Amino acid sequence: MIIMRHHKSILSHALLGAASLVMLYPLLWMLASSFRPNAEIFTSISLIPAHPDGSAYPRGWTGLQVPFGRFFWNSAVIALLSVAGNVISCSLAAFAVTRLHFRGRDLCFALMLGTMMIPYQVTLIPQYILFLNLDWVNTILPLVVPKFLAADAFFIFLLAQFFRGIPRELDEAAVMDGCPPWRIYWNIMLPLSLPVLGTVAIFTFIFTWDDFFGPLVYLTDIEAFTVQLGLRGFLDSSGTSDWSAMFAMASLTLAPVLILFVLFQRTLIQGIATTGLK
Amino acid sequence: MARRPLLHAGHAFLLPWFVGFFGLTLGPALASLYLSFTNYDLIQAPGWVGLANYVRILTADAKVAESVRVTLLYVVLSVPFKLGFALAVAMLLNQGMRGLPLYRALFYLPSLLGASVAIATLWRQVFSGDGLLNRVLLIFGIHGASWVSDPDTAIYTLVALSVWQFGSPMIIFLAGLRQLPRDIYEAAALDGATAWYQFWHITIPLLTPVIFFNLVVQTIDAFKAFTPAFIISGGTGGPINATLFYTLYLYQEAFGYLRMGYAAALAWLLVLAIAAVTALAFLSSRRWVHYET
Repeated sequence: MIIMRHHKSILSHALLGAASLVMLYPLLWMLASSFRPNAEIFTSISLIPAHPDGSAYPRGWTGLQVPFGRFFWNSAVIALLSVAGNVISCSLAAFAVTRLHFRGRDLCFALMLGTMMIPYQVTLIPQYILFLNLDWVNTILPLVVPKFLAADAFFIFLLAQFFRGIPRELDEAAVMDGCPPWRIYWNIMLPLSLPVLGTVAIFTFIFTWDDFFGPLVYLTDIEAFTVQLGLRGFLDSSGTSDWSAMFAMASLTLAPVLILFVLFQRTLIQGIATTGLK
Repeated sequence: MARRPLLHAGHAFLLPWFVGFFGLTLGPALASLYLSFTNYDLIQAPGWVGLANYVRILTADAKVAESVRVTLLYVVLSVPFKLGFALAVAMLLNQGMRGLPLYRALFYLPSLLGASVAIATLWRQVFSGDGLLNRVLLIFGIHGASWVSDPDTAIYTLVALSVWQFGSPMIIFLAGLRQLPRDIYEAAALDGATAWYQFWHITIPLLTPVIFFNLVVQTIDAFKAFTPAFIISGGTGGPINATLFYTLYLYQEAFGYLRMGYAAALAWLLVLAIAAVTALAFLSSRRWVHYET
């Protein structure tokens, strides 16, 4: 019996090990290929380049008329401002619907849940027309301002669920002591919610870093490109001739997400398990 | 006395959301409904055309029919395979085995990276005629097709990309499996129920709420997919419209040809389709989803 269990567990490990290798092979191969000459990319399936050579990185970095550093800067600014926007605006809204008393509170919460169901395509065109008329196209504003207006209702919902779990006695006692709502929000709720605020921050960063559609619609000037647009521009301009430079830049654009993944793996996985986030 | 300031405070805290709700959601949603009955090219004022956009979409536009076919094929293939893989791997991982956190993380990684342009680019190489996949197949003496540029196979490369990202539903399944009561299995084992029987008669029924959740979320996501098709086809939806997702066609109409009214009508039909599918899922759920009482 014990031996059978042992065999079964070896079988499971072999199966899972093989499956994860197959899944991650293309990724590892891409990284390896960024250190290969172009000719070798289409002949070698190995994960170790025959003659490792990092020249594709500088070649890719300066492959478009604007260096990739510019795209990284743009992406970082957009992602970090989005994080700030979501954390602030969504926590304010979640605080209001879970802790304050005012008329229409439940209606507001229902509307928030309702907006989660609306696909972005429906609001896309009028939003584009609005931002075009505000002269915001080719600035970061159409991508960042909505975050400060709690447009990602999902995160409001996530925060509200967490706030409900914080004992009411805490803020009721504070109200008795004459503590104004903004201080309850700032001095009690936020410090107690750091884990879930972290989840919101990390997911917001990753989603905005990876976002392709928003930048595609609003950023047409190459100076304003994010890394995703830069990568796509690279793919179009070099056709499919310089794959090693392409893979070098692709690997670099994945790096920030990979680093966050390694550092905050537990938070990310918990976030999905409890909320069904991507 | 304390009531009044609180009342104001509530509205003050909600102000950002309020502005966003009216300015970015409700307002634009109504505006796009209006635009869908007009033709509008961003230059001249919108002109009322009544139901003409909808009539053309539903009866006269061959590309719509094409894109609906491609999108449905993508949804119908990618969602079941993705959820099937997710459940199978979750079951394997749920045997209380060592190294669970590592496997879980490795399987989840593609879900986190899959939406990026980098991965779509990689996919384009892997499934090209002389790409990685065919190099590997060559070892076994198989001469693979040019998957990405063959209209018969292009859509399957996108399905594969979606299935590759089975990690997030897998994590949700895993969380669900861990909540299942152990004693039922022990009782069933005493009665001589095989593992296969236990899977179909205990695990699956108890897991139906989680299956339902994953099904709805993944189906909606699949309807809205855009980036992979855009990158792999170079924005065209090609070869010969084989990867022309509905969302891609909508984008082309809006931002390629500046037919904003027509694109707004396309968007509203997409919403109706998603709403209908979701409603159907909820209605059918009464028959097959078992909630604990």
